[in-house]
This record gives sequence, C-alpha cells and structure tokens, in this order.
Amino acid sequence: MDLKIRTCEVFFKVLYWPYVKNRLQVTESDELRGTLMTSSKKERFLIAGVGALVGIVSVLLVFFGNPANMGFCIACFLRDTAGALGLHQTAAVQYLRPEIIGLILGSFFMALGRKEFAARGGSSPMTRFVLGFFVAIGCLMFLGCPLRMVLRLAGGDGNALWGLAGFVMGILCGIFFLNHGYSLKRTYKQSFPEGTVLPIIEVLLLVLLVTAPALLHFTEAGAGPGGNHAPLLISLCAGLILGALAQRTRLCMVAGIRDFVLFREWTMLLGFAAILVSAFVCNLLASFWNPGFTGQPLSHTDGLWNALGMLLAGFGCVLLGGCPLRQLILSGEGNTDSAVTVLGLLAGGAFAHNFGLASSAGGPTTAGKAAVVIGLAVVCLIACVNTFVPKKQG
Amino acid sequence: MNYIVTFFSHFGAIRFKKEWEKAGHPAILMPVPRNLSSSCGTCVRCSVPPLNTPSDEMEQIVKITAEGYQTLYRADNS
Repeated sequence: MDLKIRTCEVFFKVLYWPYVKNRLQVTESDELRGTLMTSSKKERFLIAGVGALVGIVSVLLVFFGNPANMGFCIACFLRDTAGALGLHQTAAVQYLRPEIIGLILGSFFMALGRKEFAARGGSSPMTRFVLGFFVAIGCLMFLGCPLRMVLRLAGGDGNALWGLAGFVMGILCGIFFLNHGYSLKRTYKQSFPEGTVLPIIEVLLLVLLVTAPALLHFTEAGAGPGGNHAPLLISLCAGLILGALAQRTRLCMVAGIRDFVLFREWTMLLGFAAILVSAFVCNLLASFWNPGFTGQPLSHTDGLWNALGMLLAGFGCVLLGGCPLRQLILSGEGNTDSAVTVLGLLAGGAFAHNFGLASSAGGPTTAGKAAVVIGLAVVCLIACVNTFVPKKQG
Repeated sequence: MNYIVTFFSHFGAIRFKKEWEKAGHPAILMPVPRNLSSSCGTCVRCSVPPLNTPSDEMEQIVKITAEGYQTLYRADNS
C-alpha cells in the first residue's frame, strides 16, 4: 500500500514539477504572499450567483420540456442543431436549439454594451477546428459536455462521477503540456465585421426558426431527445441571459479546475460548485432527483468509456483554452478562433451521428470507442507538436 | 507589485516569470483579472515592468493605479 502511495507521489511530482517548483518559489517570498488572491469579494459573489442561476435555469428548462438532466448541454445542443440543418440524419436528435443562439447573442450584446467586443483571431484556427471536433466526439461518448456532466451529477446520475474523474485527468494532461511550453501562437486584431459573422449567422438561424421552420429538420415529439424542448421563447431568453452573464463572469467549466491547479485560485471553481449545488436543490424541489447508476436519463453505465470520453473532452478543452460553453461566449465577443472551434464542435456532432460514434442509453459503440482512442492520439499529437517541435526548430 | 504583464500564451508567462526572477525582480503568476480583460489566461504581476525588454510573447503591460489600469505597452495588432 505504501509503495502504491509512494509511486503515485513520484508520478505526480514528475508530471507537475514545473508547477510544484513555481509554487515553492512563490511561497518563499513573503512579499508576494497574499497577492495570489486576485479576485475581489464582489467578483466571487458574482460568479457564485451566476453559477447558481445556471443551475436554477437548467432545471427550469427541464421543467419546461428539455430532456432530463439536460437543461443545458452545449455538445448535445450543437449536435441537435447539426441535425436540424441536415448535417446528420439521426431523426431522434434534430432541433435548432434556441439556447445556443441565445448564448452567442447574449455574449455578443453584453460585449458590445461593455465595449469589450474585439474581433481577433488567427491563432491556429484549423488546429482549433480539429480539437473542437474531437472534444465533441469525447462529449458524445460520455453523452454530455462538461456543463451537462455537472447537471447529471446534480440530478443523481452516478455515471457522471466517472466522467468527472476522466475530465479532471484530461485537464491535468492539458496542464502538463501548458507548463512545458504548449501554445497555439498569438491572436491578431481583425476587422469588426469579421468578428460579427457568427453572431449574424445565429440571427439568421433564429429568423429561419421563427419564419420558415419547414426548411429545418425536427424530431417529432416523443421520438427522441430532439423532440423534448422548452418553448422557443423560454429557451431563447434563458440562453440570452446566461450568455450575457457568462460573458460578464468568464464562467468556464475547465477554468475552475485549471486555475485551482495552476494558481490555487478557486473563484471559477466557485461557479462550478454553485451550479452543482443549485441544480441539486432545484432537482430535489422539482422531484427530479434520482440517485443511482442504472436507468439514468440519456446516459450509459460503462464507467471506463464515460471516463475516457471526458478525458478526451477535458484534455482538448485545456488545449483550446476553455470548455464548449466558453467557446460559444468567446465567439460572441468577436473571437473568430472560438467561432472556428464552435464549427468544429458542430462538425464533430454531425460526424458522431453519421458514423455511429455517439453512445446511447445502451452504451458506447465499437466505432465510438475507436473514435475516442483516435481522438486521444490526435489530441496528444497536437499537444506534442505545439509544445516541443517549435522549440527544436528554434 | 504594481504592474501586470499579460501574454499570448501560458508558457510565455511562465518563461517571463523565470527570467524576471533570475534578473532579481519578484514576480508571480496569476489569472488575468476580469476587470483588465474579458479573455482568460495567465498573467504575471511584478514590481518592475519590463518596459525596455518587451518580448513577442507579451500582449500588454499595465500599471495598477488607484483609478484602474494604465496601459504602458501594447503589442502591435493585438
């Protein structure tokens, strides 16, 4: 037993030596002590409040018709949107989710209002597309993005614990490369219209959804998750409000764990915890709380592949600089690299259903397992190339 | 510790911190403050600004004042 513990200690020290060394240096300096706490009480209160609101709104969306434990799921909603646009033909998951439109436009208007809208991009867009693609594959292996993972935990879905374990491991893998030099290179200022392209597309999709829904593909009521949805106006308003607040607070499911590991900065983690607690309380009040591993809505019980799916997602998200929710928010405030990532997530969702890669309640598919293994290899390769190769060329 | 330097990458921040400490200037890594930028990332807080030696990896250097942040340097086209 002692040997096992010692082996684990050595493993983590080797993996995180740059970080550990950094921490030791920081603690040596009395002058620096105390300045690590960078967030004001107001900021912490704000992010905890927004996290709590996300939890409440998510359960309300389920109450109004969204699939169980899926008030928000960025990967699933982008997959549904891909289906609505005919990018995949799985009839059970086709709906142009107004939440996605709302999140991007909410961030867009908040950024404009606060004069923070800044069109920028050019930081390895194609690499980001590929990373986004495989993050979607990982999420659809687990059946949920990091946000839905928290909502599943709050609903009592024990399988999400495997997902959380994999997610944390994925983030640690990403941090290893960050500390050893990983970079997708700098961003550059772009023209204002360039940054508005994705928000304009979202406006056009909203117009299409309202005025010509016959042009889109929709899952029939009761025929699958795509058929379960809250009324359009409620979904849109929920997205708009949370998009604006997420832009204001930089809420991100990855940043909470990443910043805690890197800096012992737990502000963002507070948002993560607030979502979990508020959604848990709301699920209890609404009688949605259903603890256990079997019979959970839109999930499977294969622990290994739940973990590996979220490992891929967490790893990819750290390399991208944020979770799928954060990518939507950044794309709303003019970041075209994040807009390309959103397109990668959309493409990944479409591929997952065109080629039978997505899991179902019955469990993961063989093709899906192969895709996750390939995804892990590709993400590792991207991490190595962007960490070590430039230095050698140097 | 009156200056904040932001970077285009996390590693740029780590590298600068090491070099700056080697040069005898205290520095710490921290997340970019929200009221400085809506982007998330890593920055370095230091008491002596690297105004004479801004590298390609630096996005901006700001001074922390009672009124807020005073920009001292900003990379071209950023």
